[in-house]
Amino acid sequence: MFIHNFKYSLKTLFKDKILIFWTFMFPIILGTLFSLAFSNIEDSEKLKVIDIAVVDNGNVVFKNVFDSLSDEDSDDRLFNVRYVSEEEAIKLLESEKITGYVLAQVKPKVVVSNNGINETVLKYVVDEIIEYQSIVSNFLASSMHEIRLEDIQMSEFVLDIYSEVSKKMNEEVNIHDISSENLSYTMIEFYTLIAMTCLYGGIFAVVSINNTLANMSFKGARVSVSPTSKKIVILSRLLASYVIQLLGLVILFLFTIFVLDVDYGNDLSLVVLTSLVGSLAGLSLGVFVSSIFKSSENTKTSILIAFTMAGCFLSGMMGITMKYVVDSKAPILNKINPAAMITDAFYSLYYFTTRDRFWFNIISLVIFSVILIVVSIFSLRRQRYDSI
Amino acid sequence: MIVFKSFLRVLNKNKAPVILFTVMLVIFGVINFTSNDSTDVFTSSRPDVLIVNKDVNEGITKTFIDYISKRAEIIKLSDNESIDDALFYRNVNYVIYIPLGFRDDIINGNKPSLEVKSTGDYQASLAQMMVNKFLRVVNVYSGDFNDEWQLINYVNSTFSNETNVEITSKLDVDSLSRMATYFNFMNYTMLAGLVFVISIVMTSFKNVNISKRTTMGSMSYRRVNMYLLLSNLVFALVFWLVCMILSFVLLGDILFSLHGVMYIVNSFIFTIVSLTIALLIGNLISNKNAVNGIVNLIALGSSFLCGAFVPVEFMPKSVVNLSRVFPSYYYINSNELIKSMEVVNFESLLPVFKNIIFMLAFVVLFVILINVVSWKKRRFA
Repeated sequence: MFIHNFKYSLKTLFKDKILIFWTFMFPIILGTLFSLAFSNIEDSEKLKVIDIAVVDNGNVVFKNVFDSLSDEDSDDRLFNVRYVSEEEAIKLLESEKITGYVLAQVKPKVVVSNNGINETVLKYVVDEIIEYQSIVSNFLASSMHEIRLEDIQMSEFVLDIYSEVSKKMNEEVNIHDISSENLSYTMIEFYTLIAMTCLYGGIFAVVSINNTLANMSFKGARVSVSPTSKKIVILSRLLASYVIQLLGLVILFLFTIFVLDVDYGNDLSLVVLTSLVGSLAGLSLGVFVSSIFKSSENTKTSILIAFTMAGCFLSGMMGITMKYVVDSKAPILNKINPAAMITDAFYSLYYFTTRDRFWFNIISLVIFSVILIVVSIFSLRRQRYDSI
Repeated sequence: MIVFKSFLRVLNKNKAPVILFTVMLVIFGVINFTSNDSTDVFTSSRPDVLIVNKDVNEGITKTFIDYISKRAEIIKLSDNESIDDALFYRNVNYVIYIPLGFRDDIINGNKPSLEVKSTGDYQASLAQMMVNKFLRVVNVYSGDFNDEWQLINYVNSTFSNETNVEITSKLDVDSLSRMATYFNFMNYTMLAGLVFVISIVMTSFKNVNISKRTTMGSMSYRRVNMYLLLSNLVFALVFWLVCMILSFVLLGDILFSLHGVMYIVNSFIFTIVSLTIALLIGNLISNKNAVNGIVNLIALGSSFLCGAFVPVEFMPKSVVNLSRVFPSYYYINSNELIKSMEVVNFESLLPVFKNIIFMLAFVVLFVILINVVSWKKRRFA
């Protein structure tokens, strides 16, 4: 009887096109849109070669500095520089061809059109030239009392200091970058997408349970008078829901991994575990909603969708910073939010090397599911009707 | 009137999603409210930097921390996990770990070393430039000056000279881009709101029993359709007006400028485009349950692809090119053009007018399609 029921539940669920659209197609469409819109966002936040102009008035120091920073073969290339007259520079700035221009004079001046990162970088580099001059004059001042002026050729002496300073200034400094390689924050979008799919899967449970409740549908009334034990009916239908839910997830995973290039970290078995537990949370949410609320199937589905979307919103689907804000300002909210637990589990697999946080999330999900299922069992058992 | 009344009745039954779309627009407008007022004095960008100091907080180490604090926003967090979290979510761009013995290394003329964590974006690059510069300058001095006090004096005097920066633009960039963000998001609100309501209403009228009753009634088919069309038009105008009133509340006076007027005109044209799209879809589908899926597909799809949520400059070229087939592209493109307009005159508005012509062409196309579809449906129904 279990197998028979299971088979027919699978069939009816699969035939519901709207249901399949929301649980199978919608996440894939949304994922594709995410990937199209976000694929470039992290690259475009990197510092790019900045177009500038220099009005050089024959100043050698400026030309040297900007030429070395505009070297096309260098990895540290910062600028694309052109040397022009002041009128031309003004025109270039007006037509937004350059970020700004430098007037190379004794007191150098930078002209830009707006505030911004590129403008700040330009200012920093010109600052450096001024600092350079200050260093040389500091050295000069401190050396003056050691040497008798008449002993040396002044200009040669200055040049010596200049070359000494510039040699030291070009030496490498000891900075070790120890940041993790997995810093791509747009991954969170895809993790919330998986979380959404897990919880959306609860719709299958809503439909399955509703079809067994005598007071909810004619089908439910008919099932209730049949001589099959209610336990078997419900369990077989829930198992069918769970299987379809997992199938949808497998398709989504394959799509995100192979087409959208989403990175889930290196531990495949733990990714599978998260999906199994996440879907279980979705399933129990569906059972809970359909057994506690006494309303039409449409309303129940709407409640489930609204809950899922609110959960995904808090875990960063509509803006990744949201998750960080909630996590740091109102952590309790995301500790009871299944979408955030799933998202955070994937995030800790991707970003952290330790697994404490991951297991915390998995255990929270299990607790969440158990509580909902226990409450639902108490609501579902011993329902009897003399007439309906 | 009777048609309009039943339109309102259907709308009233399905008001929740429409309210939701509008609330999202408001939330989006408010979130973008946080940016500060722009001035005509140049202000350097300040990256968010976190310093973990394991050395003493005095002498040259203190000079270093002061130097960074003057040029960056200092974020304070204590445990490692929250530091890593903050870095991942870009709440911090750059973390500097100052090791024990940093000060001694410098005083003894050795090269000091630092460990850093970086997000790799431009804010982080800026922080990296600062740190690099400091270490270089210290290296130059520390070989020759062992006296810490003198060293600090020299380092401070070196960094005290700053370049004179002049700003030419008098544009109020902040409020202009706030407006652009609001109106860009309206792309989603308009499309989702109109397509949802109009499709729901049209499918309700298509219900077999209802359509039979309408045909039997004394009102002619043509009149019913005309009133239905008028009700849809009225709804679109009211919805647009609500969005405009909200924009006045959220954005304020700046809407009364020439820039603001252009935004309003542009959004009005787009409302007409959305209306024709909604009518076309309402004509095409007859299953009420499919409405939600189609709304999401069209509104989310074109909003994502055309840059209503993520600015176009952050998107891959290929996607931007692809998005030219949607009318939303021209609407959002105009918003972006108006944002960076120094002067509003006929010449600078030419590209905006071109976009308007494109949008109107879409209107014509959709109207033709609507007629073809409804003619075919009637004929072959």
